[in-house]
Amino acid sequence: MELVLSGLNILLNWQLLLAIPLGMILGIIVGAIPGLTSDLGIILMIPLTYTLEPTVAILALVSIYVGGTYGGSITAILINTPGTSANAATLFDGYPMAQKGEAYKALSMALYASTIGGLIGAFVLLFLAPPIAKVTLMFGPAEYLSLAVFGLSVIAGVSNENIFKGLIGACIGIFVSTIGLDVISGTVRFTFGNIQLRRGIDLIIALIGLFAISEILMKAKYNPKTDRTVVDGSSITKMKITKEEYKRCRKPITIGTIIGIIIGATPGTGGGLAAFIAYNQVKQSSSHPETFGKGEIEGVAVSESANNAACGGTMIPMLTLGVPGDGATAILMGAFMVHGLVPGPMLFKEQGSILYAIMLGAIIVNISLWVFGKFFTRFYAHITRIPFELLACIVLTFCAAGAYSTNNNIYDVYYIFIFGILAYYLRLMRFQMVPILLGIVLGPLAEMNFRRALILSDGSYLIFITRPISLAFLLIAFGSVATFTVKEFLHQRKERTQQT
Amino acid sequence: MKIKYNSEMVIGVLLTIASGILFARIPIEIKTLEQTMVNAQTVPRIALGGLSLFSFILFLQGVFLIPKKVIVFDQAFKESRGFKDTIRALIYIGILIIYTMVFRYLGFIVSSIYLIFAILIYYGARKKSYYAIALSVSAGVYLVFTFVLNISLP
Repeated sequence: MELVLSGLNILLNWQLLLAIPLGMILGIIVGAIPGLTSDLGIILMIPLTYTLEPTVAILALVSIYVGGTYGGSITAILINTPGTSANAATLFDGYPMAQKGEAYKALSMALYASTIGGLIGAFVLLFLAPPIAKVTLMFGPAEYLSLAVFGLSVIAGVSNENIFKGLIGACIGIFVSTIGLDVISGTVRFTFGNIQLRRGIDLIIALIGLFAISEILMKAKYNPKTDRTVVDGSSITKMKITKEEYKRCRKPITIGTIIGIIIGATPGTGGGLAAFIAYNQVKQSSSHPETFGKGEIEGVAVSESANNAACGGTMIPMLTLGVPGDGATAILMGAFMVHGLVPGPMLFKEQGSILYAIMLGAIIVNISLWVFGKFFTRFYAHITRIPFELLACIVLTFCAAGAYSTNNNIYDVYYIFIFGILAYYLRLMRFQMVPILLGIVLGPLAEMNFRRALILSDGSYLIFITRPISLAFLLIAFGSVATFTVKEFLHQRKERTQQT
Repeated sequence: MKIKYNSEMVIGVLLTIASGILFARIPIEIKTLEQTMVNAQTVPRIALGGLSLFSFILFLQGVFLIPKKVIVFDQAFKESRGFKDTIRALIYIGILIIYTMVFRYLGFIVSSIYLIFAILIYYGARKKSYYAIALSVSAGVYLVFTFVLNISLP
C-alpha cells in the first residue's frame, strides 16, 4: 500500500499532462496508418524522452502502445485494412458495419471495448501481475505449439462456406511464413536464388497486400456515376449504440478481456492472436453465430476488448520476469533500460514506487484513450463520405509509403502488390483472407515450438498430450472445430429442410 | 466455343499443380544439413502437402458437387458486363504494376503523381479538386515520412 501511495505521489507531475496526450495522438496516428505500427511510434518517441523523468517517459511510450492498438481498428472498420495485426479480427464485423452505414457505431464500440479491455488489463497488471507471470512461465514448447493449434482452430469458424478453402488459405499462410532464413538451423528456404527473400516476408507487408490492395482491386468495377452513394454528413453520427447493444456486448467484452489478458501475458503471442481466439469463442457461444462476419457489433466488441486487454497482459511478463510479451513491449523494455530501470523481479524491490507509478499511470492512459477517442471518432467516421476514386489514390500512396518504410526496401512495395493481386483473385473465388493471415501469424510460432518440443522429447510426439496445459489447449481446439462442424452441418440441414 | 466450369475447379487445379511443383522442389530449395527427422524441410512439406491435398479435394468438389456455369465465347459474351469488368480489372492491375516498376526509378513523388492521374482518369473523375486533394495528400505523406518520421522515401 505504501508503494501504491508513493507511486501516486510520483504521478503528480505536470509533464504527464503533455506526455500522455502527445503519445496517445502519435499512437493513434501510427496505428491507423497501414504499414506503420506502435513499435515504430515508440522507437521514434524514445529519443524525445531522454530528458524526461522515467515515469513520464515510460507512460508517454505506453500511451503510444495503447493508442496504436486502438488506432488500428479505425482503418479496419473504415477501409477493411487493419492498421496493425492486432486489429485483424476487427475487420470481420467492423467493415461490414461501415458498409451498412454504421461506421460511427462500429468506431464507438471499438473505442468503448478498447477502453474497458485496456482498463481491466491495467488493473490486472497492478494487482495480479506476479501470480499470472508464474502461470505463463510454465509454458514450454509443447504448450506454445498447442496454443498455436488453438489459434488455427479459428479457421473453422471463419470458413463458413467451405472448410477446404479455409484450410488451403492456412497452408498458403504457413508456406509464406517459411520463406527466408530458418531461425533454428540457419537454412535458407524458398528464396529461389533471390537474396532479398532471405529475410522473409514481414507480416505487415502481407497484411497490406491481402487486405488493402485487394480491397481496392475489388472495387475496380466501381462506377462513380452509378455506384456512388451520397451520405449526408449529419446522418453519419446519428447511428449511436443503443442501450440494448451495450447490454448485449457485456459478455463479449468480458470474454475478450479475460482471453486478452491471458494470451497477452504469454510471451511471444500478442493482441492479434488474443483477438482471434476471443472472437472465435464468442461466436461459438453465441445464440446467433450466423450474424457474425456480417456486421455484428458483438464481433467488434470482443476483438477490440481482447487486443487492448492484451496490452496490459504483455506488460506482465516484461515487468515481473523481464520477458517481453510482444514486439512493442520488447522495445518498451529497451526504453526502461535507457532510463536506468531493469525490468524483472528486482525492479519490484529496487524501484517499487516508480513501477507502481507506471502501473497506475497505465490506468490514466486508458482513461485518456477514451477522452481522445471520443473526440476524434466523429471526424474519422466522415472518411466513409470520401468518394472512392479519391480514397483509392490516398490509400494506395499511404500503403506504398508504409510498405517501403517497414524495412526501407523497395521489394516490400513489390510484395504488397503481388500479395494484393493474388488475394484479389482468391477473393473473387470466395476465399477468406483471414486463414492466410492466421497461417502467416501462427506459422512461425507453431514451427519453432514444434521442432523445439520434439528435440526436447527425443522425437516423441507424446510430449504434446502428456503435458496438461498442452493437452487442454489441444482438446479445446478440437472441441471448438467439432462444435463448429456439427453446428454448420445442422444449420445446412435445417436450411435444406426449409427449402424442400 | 462453350465451356462448363466453376471457380473451385479452376483454383483447385492451379493450386494442386503449383503446390506439387513447390513440393518437388523442396530438396533443391531447402538444403539442410540437419540429420534429425524433424528439420527445416518438415513444416514446408506439411504446408505444401496439405495445400496439394486440400486443393485436389476442392477440385473434386468442383467437378462432382458444385453447380457449374456455362460460358459461350461469342459476340454477346464480349459485350457483357462481366467481360468488360474483367478487362477493367486487368487495366487496373496494369496501372498498379507500372506504378511498382516506376516507383524504384522515378521515386515516390513522381510515381505517385502518375498513380493519382491514372486512377482518377480510370474512374473518369473530372473534378479538379480531386486531383488537387490527392496530390496534396501524397505530398503531405512524403513530407511527414521524410521530416517527421525520418524515413527517406525514394
